[in-house]
Amino acid sequence: MTIHSFRQYLQTLETRGDLHRISEPVSWNLEASAVTMLLNVEDSAVPLFESVESAQLVGDPYRGTQRRPWDRIALGLGLPPDLSYSEYYESVIDRLKDPIEPVTVSADDAPCKEEIRTGDEIDLLDFPWPYIHAGDGGRYSNVHTLIAPDPDSDWVDWSNHRTMIHDSETSSVLLLAGEQTPNLYYYKYEERNEPMPVAIAVGVEPAVRYTSVMWIPTGRNEAEYAGGLKREPVELVPCETNDLLVPATAELVIEGEILPNERRDEGPFGDYFGYMHGPRRSMPLFRVTGITHQTDPILPFCVEGTGVGHSENTTSSMEVGCVGPDATLGLRTAQFDVECCAPWKSTPRTIYTISTEKTNPSYLHDMANFIFTTWGMLHVDFFIFVDADVNPLDQREVLEALALYADPDTDFHQFGVETMPKVPLNIYQTPTEKGDIQTGTSKAKTAKAYIDATSDRSARKSQPTGDVERRYRAQKILERAGVDTSTLSFVDPGEGAQ
Amino acid sequence: MTALRRHLERLRETDDLVSVTEHVHWDGAVAEVASEAIRHNCPVTLFENTSGAVRPVSGVYGGADQFASADQQPWQRITQALDLGAERSYIELIERLARWQSSAVDDRVTDKPAATVREGIDMYSLGLPTDGNGTPLVSMGLLVVEANGVTTWAPIRGRVQRSRTLRLAVPEAVTKWCSPSADVSVVFGVSAAALIAALQGWTQGQTTPTVPELAAGLTDVPVTTIDSRIVPTDAEVRIDGRMSPVESEAVIDETKPKAAWELACETTTVDVDAEAIALREEPIVPFTPLGEPLTDDLHLMCLVETAKLFRRVNNYWGVSPVEWIQLPVEGQLGFCIVSSEILYAGFEWQLANTLFSFSDLFDKVLILDEQADPSNLARAIDDMWVKAHPANDWIFSEPNASSATAPLYRSDGSNGSRLYINATWDPRWDEEYIAPRVNFETSFSENVLESVADRWEELGLDALLDERGVSDVRE
Repeated sequence: MTIHSFRQYLQTLETRGDLHRISEPVSWNLEASAVTMLLNVEDSAVPLFESVESAQLVGDPYRGTQRRPWDRIALGLGLPPDLSYSEYYESVIDRLKDPIEPVTVSADDAPCKEEIRTGDEIDLLDFPWPYIHAGDGGRYSNVHTLIAPDPDSDWVDWSNHRTMIHDSETSSVLLLAGEQTPNLYYYKYEERNEPMPVAIAVGVEPAVRYTSVMWIPTGRNEAEYAGGLKREPVELVPCETNDLLVPATAELVIEGEILPNERRDEGPFGDYFGYMHGPRRSMPLFRVTGITHQTDPILPFCVEGTGVGHSENTTSSMEVGCVGPDATLGLRTAQFDVECCAPWKSTPRTIYTISTEKTNPSYLHDMANFIFTTWGMLHVDFFIFVDADVNPLDQREVLEALALYADPDTDFHQFGVETMPKVPLNIYQTPTEKGDIQTGTSKAKTAKAYIDATSDRSARKSQPTGDVERRYRAQKILERAGVDTSTLSFVDPGEGAQ
Repeated sequence: MTALRRHLERLRETDDLVSVTEHVHWDGAVAEVASEAIRHNCPVTLFENTSGAVRPVSGVYGGADQFASADQQPWQRITQALDLGAERSYIELIERLARWQSSAVDDRVTDKPAATVREGIDMYSLGLPTDGNGTPLVSMGLLVVEANGVTTWAPIRGRVQRSRTLRLAVPEAVTKWCSPSADVSVVFGVSAAALIAALQGWTQGQTTPTVPELAAGLTDVPVTTIDSRIVPTDAEVRIDGRMSPVESEAVIDETKPKAAWELACETTTVDVDAEAIALREEPIVPFTPLGEPLTDDLHLMCLVETAKLFRRVNNYWGVSPVEWIQLPVEGQLGFCIVSSEILYAGFEWQLANTLFSFSDLFDKVLILDEQADPSNLARAIDDMWVKAHPANDWIFSEPNASSATAPLYRSDGSNGSRLYINATWDPRWDEEYIAPRVNFETSFSENVLESVADRWEELGLDALLDERGVSDVRE
């Protein structure tokens, strides 16, 4: 079944028993976040807060289960719920290889135009943006698609940059140089002293959301990739106050511009790596020019910081379910022989594991060098290379490879010490090292490293036998003995070991 | 005292044991099923119907992959087997093992062993699970040998060589301690305390032959005398015979995969020619598919080595800054984690290198702050990636260190580097630089949490979270 809207996705969650409706009034002021954190930690259902002042909130709607973080993301693509990680990755990759052009619809056919507010009707504070952690610098929208155009071409970038609400008309947007949209802002619009037209689409359909966090190459039409993911064209509709096209089924769209040479405080924020980082910094100012939305809009949010260790949240699950397949495709497209590139499951965005058949040192160096020079790598500090038959999403397998095959003498490679850029979203630099420079990168440089945890083929610990039939029969014996089948991978005879 | 059978009963009571009642032949299939069970964090697996005289059981002293399970702790079965209760914390378990206390066994000698000598039984008819080549394998057993009035128990690993012969790897120090052609017993199906004490006695550098006394120091272990040897009374299978050294150079390669304990000591190969085989009624023999991840031998060895390090490191500087140490089973003895107060700048260097000094197994140490939770490996490794500066806090020694025994590189014994990762806060930092973790305590005021607790049913959380309250989850 094709999912065309965020609401339809939530309904699908509900049919599976994965949505928990809370009709009692709940406050946006930490209470909704506390309940969401609770359910995240407990690997329970997704909470939909139906009564939060003027709108509904939904906490971590794309959070997968701890065993299968990609599950709910797969649901949003209409994929079967029982795919192995490798089947899921290849399905997403196949869809990304086959983009479908978007279509433009009229405002009458766009749910996001049910309510239109411009001029004096604009008030950001009419909506219950959640205050997520007690130490945060303010209230946030942090699960949305930020739409911004390249002033020199037809290219429009979709991305996900959190925004901290300041008042009824302004917010600060976390723009970290090195990523696509921030680079457009800092090095084109701001240098020309021009405002950057922007739309922030909140509660978009799943395929749009997924595309927003992927590393889609510069210059490519992200809406086409979203269409490829959902196997149907994405419907777009023109904004009211600028020339941008936005997803027609979005719950709410904030139109506006990010002004040049204007800054507002942003942060601190409890962030994706599980710590409340600071200091408060200055970030570009977003000024609202219009708001359109569905009646009784549903606003998603993510309790950042809960996607570490054993628990999942939207960010960590989307790293596994969206960024991983996209990165795998990207490396293959660059002609690297990659089985799979996947994030370290309990640490979103900081470290990735790559399984590969080719393991000679120069090949791995070249691949790491290629990766670390791409945009968006300011968040990523480490890559681990493992053998092709190691499942990069299985942390036990990767830690074993790290312990047994990564020689401190020869297999840990740093691209210099204090030579490389870093976003200031980290806890190992001091506030002074992070600084407060205009483009949102740390003042002090840091290091990037890759670890060669591939084996010398002559000395291998046993991997699961390649005899899939035997493994399958063994698991069936356990099933008949009464073992909980959810613990078994039930290898599909004929498929690979994963 | 928890004999194997009582331990299995408890596991069954807590739904941590399944019986495979359908016929699964001991030749190949049993080991295959056991491997799958262990890889997928299944309960202990007892094979009731295998064509052999014994009932093999796997995973008895193993446990869950910590990354895959937030609820199960890998050491739970062992704490239970030592009569400490499944709920005993990791630190309490390590402290218990680190005591290294002996206790006399004279008053624990019983009249006769539980196993009785059977006629018409040979090594093959026991039905020990085989490897891929059809050779019955020996794991999770003990060699019992006496010298000068002292009985020792030592770990073994090996295979059935002929119908009346076992070929075993044993700690080399054992064969130097006793006569190379001594009368011995080989026992299977003994308690966790006996297995742990044997590892403590013979794999920890300085040998301690009085293993029965070490086991008695851990928990009550009834013993009996066979000839002049003290054997665990409740052993499920006992093979009495004579030991003889094997001189062939080829034996090392032909007896793979090895057990985890062999990484910690020099070994030698002996044959044991059986003169009598004694069995209990419907004997149960623990085994583990060696060479696989998460096997019982790894679990036991990780705990024993950890306890040694914990005992030696704390008080080494006159104080006890170390909260806990862990050789996670997932790292196959090649990776050590220590959680400690950092007494002063540079203490982390001392701490890591002290651990390297006291253990030859690993060459990588991760240092965490004292607040780290030993039961959350995923979070501990998270700190390695996000809290340690990728350059400044990954510290490599000069390449002159001797090679560690667990990793699979530098198997020629050549020197190399060691690595420690300092994922602790820099003691020079001002308090305001320290980033708090995102959790219930730091993210929400008591008022908010109390409000959620008060509204538990109203918010429908009782239906979702099995009556657990906020406070339960926070714990």
